[in-house]
Amino acid sequence: MLESLFRNLPKVLKYVFLALTISILLMFTQSAFAKKEYEIGVFLLVSIIVIAITYLTTFSIPLKFFLPGILFLTAFVIGPILYTVVMSTYQYQTGNYISKDQSIERVQMLGIAPDEANTTFDVVVGKYNNQIAVLASDSINQRYLLSTSTEKIELSPSLVTVDENGVATKVNDFTPATGDEIVQLDFEISSTRFKYEGDYFIMLEGSSVGAVARQVLDYVKSADKFINLVDGTEYVDNGRGNYANTDNLEDVLQPGWRSPIWFSHYIDLVKDESVRNPLFTVFIWTVVFAFLTVLTQFALGLLVAMAMNKPIKGRRVYRSIFILPYAIPSIMSILVWGGMFNTEFGAINALLGTEIAWFQNATFARVAVILVNLWLGFPYFYLITSGAMQAIPSELSEAAAIDGASPRQVFARITLPLLLKIVTPLLIASFAFNFNNFNLIFLLTGGGPRNELDGQIAGATDILISYTYKIAFGSNVQDLGLASAISVIIFIIIASISLFGVRKSKVLDSFS
Amino acid sequence: MNKWITDNLWRHVVGVLVAFFALFPLYLVIISSVNPTGSLQVSSFIPTEFSLKNYQQLFNDPTIPYLVWMKNTLLISGAVAILSVIIGASSAFAFSRLRFKGKKFGIQLLFLVQMFPAILALSAVYVIMERVYNFAPGYGLGTQPGLLLVYLGGAMGVNIWLLKGFVDSIPIELDEAAKVDGASAMQTYWQIFIPLAAPILAVVSLLSFIGTFNEFILARLFLVDMNSRTIAVGLQGFIGGQYSQNWGAFAAGSIIASIPIVIIFLSLQKYIISGLTAGSVKG
Repeated sequence: MLESLFRNLPKVLKYVFLALTISILLMFTQSAFAKKEYEIGVFLLVSIIVIAITYLTTFSIPLKFFLPGILFLTAFVIGPILYTVVMSTYQYQTGNYISKDQSIERVQMLGIAPDEANTTFDVVVGKYNNQIAVLASDSINQRYLLSTSTEKIELSPSLVTVDENGVATKVNDFTPATGDEIVQLDFEISSTRFKYEGDYFIMLEGSSVGAVARQVLDYVKSADKFINLVDGTEYVDNGRGNYANTDNLEDVLQPGWRSPIWFSHYIDLVKDESVRNPLFTVFIWTVVFAFLTVLTQFALGLLVAMAMNKPIKGRRVYRSIFILPYAIPSIMSILVWGGMFNTEFGAINALLGTEIAWFQNATFARVAVILVNLWLGFPYFYLITSGAMQAIPSELSEAAAIDGASPRQVFARITLPLLLKIVTPLLIASFAFNFNNFNLIFLLTGGGPRNELDGQIAGATDILISYTYKIAFGSNVQDLGLASAISVIIFIIIASISLFGVRKSKVLDSFS
Repeated sequence: MNKWITDNLWRHVVGVLVAFFALFPLYLVIISSVNPTGSLQVSSFIPTEFSLKNYQQLFNDPTIPYLVWMKNTLLISGAVAILSVIIGASSAFAFSRLRFKGKKFGIQLLFLVQMFPAILALSAVYVIMERVYNFAPGYGLGTQPGLLLVYLGGAMGVNIWLLKGFVDSIPIELDEAAKVDGASAMQTYWQIFIPLAAPILAVVSLLSFIGTFNEFILARLFLVDMNSRTIAVGLQGFIGGQYSQNWGAFAAGSIIASIPIVIIFLSLQKYIISGLTAGSVKG
């Protein structure tokens, strides 16, 4: 009995683990559907089904190995990539963030106006006939009324108990709410429209004052438009996620919704100068930055590797020192460099005896960025090139030397070409990496300096990815749609560069 | 002697200059961390006073939850390091050893996916996790488990790719011998492959540890609350804009935080460099 249990233990564990996983996922699926997150709900449901089929049947053995990895990749890489493409076709920014239904609801809720006399009441919130109700008092005119969302009862002053200010606190059949209940029902209380005269109603402003108002913006579902009941203005869907005044398209109702606008962002990127110009400037700097970075890092790395390509005294010590910048977490060293470039107190100015405002001047800031990146990256190329030099057969250079080539000729004609052949794919990979080197830019200069006056969010050292980040998560307008469109373009650029690199290195040939 | 000069002197000149360049910031951080004034100002490049005040401040000042940040970082990076390898290893095994339909296509797709910088899909990840928060508040935006999930997913492509590369270099004869003896794929995986690949798995695991430790952008977006931050986000927020005041404590904090990473890195040098030539670039 015990023995068979042991033999079956892996199996038992497997089923327990499977059952646990599936039930946790089911729980999430259920709450996703309950909160109307259908896309995520469907993804979870499909995952559950695939998990069950894979691990309960012998449908596919390789899939048993793959599945966890595939699910994670789909959920957090492939899914977001596709979602980025989808988002790039949407008006999706501050003010156009919610769904259309939510937007209509909000516009309706906000589309009210007070009556002409700006009537307000002192109110007590409570329950009447099991409905949320307010006991409203106009102490000056000695007018009292009890109102729920469906009925309004005028009360004679003799029926109500008033406090020292003449505000009614009690009346028969009305139970005032306790503080806890008010907190609990807060949303319901603040969104209820308590009946008043005609189409007017009382809306609460805080928990003890109610104002008389009426609906001004009315939603006509059949025509999908809003009508202003007072002046008759019509607001229609402008195709960009807002209801706009038919007479003045600039006049839109807030909040809008995230609305499909197809390729508008991409068209803006090409045609709209206010979008195109900063993007173009940033793009040029991104390429220059990545290129100069790779060039300087490789040049210094190569120089060091050549210097160390002979068993000189202290080579091991040198080597350990050169590796250090690469071993230290880059976020820490970038922040340290940031302090060193400080204008007033920084070590760089102290060392040079200058008072340069490094991060306030575009050129100096760019020099600083390249310099810091050189520090961070030259050890990588030092390691790579010294490795590659070992791999170059010494027969070649020896043969050349016998044929009378000078050491310089040997280097230029033999070592360097062979070396380049080996490291080119890595140079390309490094270019692609630095093309998106967000941490360096964000932590060192924050993309700055930027001209405060031009209103653009792009700074002189902003690269595409940090610029995109500012568009998506900036402090003023957060434009996720435009940011996604730029992301898609960056991806196409990066993918082309990398595929080019792969072609060079013939990695794809080795797939079998 | 002349020969020595032409052959070796320039090597030492380059070596000393570059060593100075490499060491200068490190030297500066170290003297700042023991400078009792704690300020950024460099009055002298040779320290005149020595004190551990900055280190003490780090551990005693209630406004700097340094230990909490460190704990968060180690927990998150540790979890990513372990889980991503557990999940990634089986996929890498399948890609490297099993035969199945569409394998070539799968490998090409994996290659493309692992190339994609996760940071590009940032807006989408943000919105998706915002929605997850909507129905599962403990796992969405702004939570450590949510961040962990995103890290796991984001690291998966690169990890599987790296692991596959390493696994390809393990001789296949042992697997085949096991197969001939009638072992199932599962048995081969657990009894042959895992013991053989253990050192490699450990290396990839430590590499993802370093990668996660260095991650900043997602952590900043996710971890708003002071006590849930990682060391990167915490220290950045701590000196953000106030370089001059908190410099000493920051220097001390970054030294302590760097030590484990430097140790891991130096002990894995050999593997990291072979990983580097496989095309990955450390962040």
